[in-house]
Amino acid sequence: MEQGRVPPFSPVLLLGMVLKPVRPSLLQPLFDAMLRLVRRRHPDILERMEPFAESSVCIDPVDLPFMLLLEPNPENPRLTVRRHIDADEVSATVRGPLETLIALAEGKVDGDALFFTRQLVVEGDTEVVVALRNAVDGAGIDLIEDFTALLGPLARPARAVAGTALGLLGRLREDVETLRRSLIAPAVQSSDAQSARIGELEAEIQALRKQARGTRAARGQEA
Amino acid sequence: MTEAARPELVCPAGTPAALKSAVDAGADCVYVGFRDETNARNFPGLNFNRKELAGGIAYAHANGAKLLVAINTFPRAGRPELWHRAVDDAAELGADALILADVGLLDYAARRHPEARLHLSVQAAASNPAAIAFYAERFGVKRVVLPRVLTVQEIAALNRRIRPVETEVFVFGGLCVMAEGRCSLSSYVTGQSPNVNGVCSPAAHVRYVESPEGIASQLGGFTINRFGRNEPAGYPTLCKGRFIAGGKASYLFEEPTSLNTLNILPELIAAGVTAFKIEGRQRGRAYVAAVVRAFRQGVDAVLAGRGVPDIDLDAITEGGRQTTGAYERAWR
Repeated sequence: MEQGRVPPFSPVLLLGMVLKPVRPSLLQPLFDAMLRLVRRRHPDILERMEPFAESSVCIDPVDLPFMLLLEPNPENPRLTVRRHIDADEVSATVRGPLETLIALAEGKVDGDALFFTRQLVVEGDTEVVVALRNAVDGAGIDLIEDFTALLGPLARPARAVAGTALGLLGRLREDVETLRRSLIAPAVQSSDAQSARIGELEAEIQALRKQARGTRAARGQEA
Repeated sequence: MTEAARPELVCPAGTPAALKSAVDAGADCVYVGFRDETNARNFPGLNFNRKELAGGIAYAHANGAKLLVAINTFPRAGRPELWHRAVDDAAELGADALILADVGLLDYAARRHPEARLHLSVQAAASNPAAIAFYAERFGVKRVVLPRVLTVQEIAALNRRIRPVETEVFVFGGLCVMAEGRCSLSSYVTGQSPNVNGVCSPAAHVRYVESPEGIASQLGGFTINRFGRNEPAGYPTLCKGRFIAGGKASYLFEEPTSLNTLNILPELIAAGVTAFKIEGRQRGRAYVAAVVRAFRQGVDAVLAGRGVPDIDLDAITEGGRQTTGAYERAWR
């Protein structure tokens, strides 16, 4: 598996497994609509990306079975769903779990901190990625607000539904986390036992070294 | 404590959304820059155009905050037009102060816009009464952003000698190697420096190379640092590179550590500092909101006599480590 491609065990990963048989072309209309929405609600993103109009970025949600190819040309921007994108096809790649990428787009998490702690992987032209991060962060995206704003008078009930759905997702995430802990409990137990044993051995080695130094010093004095 | 002693919280914003986050989190002032070489955070996709600045000023003023514009790089010899236009536009759009470093630009601003409030950028590196008096007398500078080389005691003594000129000190964020406005390290490798181009170690010259052992950060094709799989990574500014000398790899110039003065806020307030500055216009709005909120709480708590609150900012600091820097000179 490629660097940074190990996905966390999460509801999105389970969703990704369900989506695996789905052809990317079937999902494309959804991303076309999303791009139209972004252009309408946040035109400043493409304006900030203008110097990088000819660059393309691979956005790789590691817990989903597809990747996104972003071509930020202000005149003709494209967001294409693909099963796989080669690194040499694009200027840069941004890789991370879907929830992290969404939180980053909404400005809820600090991109630098995510990168420095490896929750986000960046490859290729760093300048393009920095520009994209700044452009998206500066737009003040709120996905629920942006989507529901399209619904006119139905916006308010739609926001309520979205709020309920997020609550359910939170509970699902807790359940998945419990499942994850149960599954790895034997391995964690074994790892804890090994760590404890390593600690004991380290202490023993230190004691032996101290003893050896004392013996050497005593021999030196005798000599 | 009197109202006059209440320090202003001066907060960074690289985009309109970050400006809104800073104001909403309790900033007294927000400082920004134009989207060009005239400011020291000339990063791709960052900063304000004229329309966004006008909107930012309106939002700040509507919420009781001030907006300061940093035009703090040094104009290219013989080509000062871009910098002059930045001064004119910021003054005409109603910025509450201009943060300048270059003497020529200070002279231009003082002559063309005598009503404008001028602050001296940290890039000017004025750290003694004689230097500060020069800027105050010649250009009417009202506030000096102090370089990060002084102890709290030295700042207190300086404040007593330079009144009524105000001081502003950094309280949080990335650190430089104490040669602000004069550092050319970045230009040796990339041809661009913060002093003229407004960017240190520009992202166009940065690459991160992943391997099973970890990640290597490169600047201009040179490997500046290598981080193990579980080690926090950092941005490859030359001064924060890990170099091998005497067979040992270490941070020869400076470690990737963030300044955090939350715990010494009472001392800084007692030293008579007028404004506390948070670094990080290049950071996202999540960083801005978290740090501004923490320092708003901190300053308010100290002024109310409640002591410094315990707020964990580890997650957003460079290298996951913090220091009080020269303020305490703990390394001595």
